[in-house]
Amino acid sequence: MPELELELREVGTFLAFPPEPGLVPAVRERLDERPAFGRRRLLLVAFAAVAAAIAVAFAVPPARTAILRFFHIGGETVERVQTLPPAQRRSPVAGLAGPMSLASASRRAGFEPTLPRSHGAIYAADGILATPVANGRAVLTEFRAELGVTKKFVGAATRVEPVTVNGRDGLWLQGAPHVVMYFDSRGLGREKVVRLVGNVLVWSRGSVTLRLEGPLTRDEALRLAETIR
Amino acid sequence: MVGRPLEETELVERAKRGDHRAYGELVHAYQGIAFRTAYLVIRNAAEAEDAAQEGFVKAFRALGRFRTGEPFRPWLLKIVVNEARNRLRSSARRDALALRATAERPSGEAAPSPEAALLDTERRELLLAAVEALPEPMRLVISCRYFLELSEEETASALGLRRGTVKSRTSRALERLRESYA
Repeated sequence: MPELELELREVGTFLAFPPEPGLVPAVRERLDERPAFGRRRLLLVAFAAVAAAIAVAFAVPPARTAILRFFHIGGETVERVQTLPPAQRRSPVAGLAGPMSLASASRRAGFEPTLPRSHGAIYAADGILATPVANGRAVLTEFRAELGVTKKFVGAATRVEPVTVNGRDGLWLQGAPHVVMYFDSRGLGREKVVRLVGNVLVWSRGSVTLRLEGPLTRDEALRLAETIR
Repeated sequence: MVGRPLEETELVERAKRGDHRAYGELVHAYQGIAFRTAYLVIRNAAEAEDAAQEGFVKAFRALGRFRTGEPFRPWLLKIVVNEARNRLRSSARRDALALRATAERPSGEAAPSPEAALLDTERRELLLAAVEALPEPMRLVISCRYFLELSEEETASALGLRRGTVKSRTSRALERLRESYA
């Protein structure tokens, strides 16, 4: 092969591509959705959320701020808002690299995670790590609170309930889709905006915040969280 | 999974019959090349990830049109590239291609080994800049052929071109690079 072509190949080997994302869980999740019925139901739920938000908007005095209520657990805040910011549906592991071994994931995340005995492939990025649990029905995410804040925006149709997890305060979110946005320690919103459909349990352990997302019931999520300690 | 990995054809066949797990293995095998290809088109990691993800989902839904026995990778890349191109119009931010910092030689090994790189860092940067300055159609062909190491046929399929076009466009691009870089 002529020299220029060899040199181009060499440049190729030196290209700094962003870390390869782990797409399997996100793609599988989307294939597992029942297309017609699932979409329609999602639309209905979204419509219900919008209708409820409109009802709330009319019910409150005009001077009221957009944030109706505020919860805080570890590195996560939950804001109840009148209007959800626009978002796309993504897997909780979107934006993380992997799959990788537990050792590499811990190195990349910068902390030792606590995982249940049975879990799936591990994905990680700086300060954060995630893995499917409960036979792939849910995803467990653990992240260091000091690296940033995750904000959840919930509409009127999402129920937010304070719970106790392993003796600590936690939050259980259930109902309509809500939006998750991640802000790094400089306060910049990461491009990745997530709209989740499943229910979520959030709690913290030291400086690490844990989040369990998926179509689990409150009791299933709490029982699973008890095994992560 | 236990045992040796299944052949691609077998995985595709199973996926065609609706086996999501088999398709997951194909995603696992090709997510790297799909993501890098999308990134070379769209130049934004989050957008490239979305394009690759969407490409895999669309490819699954189009599997009925895929002829068993044909190579899966170029067929998939075509869908991913289309997806990336569609997103290109709406995408605002584009990153420049960057080179990894040269791997440091272990201490005490100052002399370049026989397999030493052909180019020093500066030359690599110059050559990359020359590729970046090419018109988009040439840049994509060169990126596919040499950065992603796709064959002529794969490049043709991924970019939706005839093989002859890939050949002639490559040689014209190389000519240009020789002029601007040599």
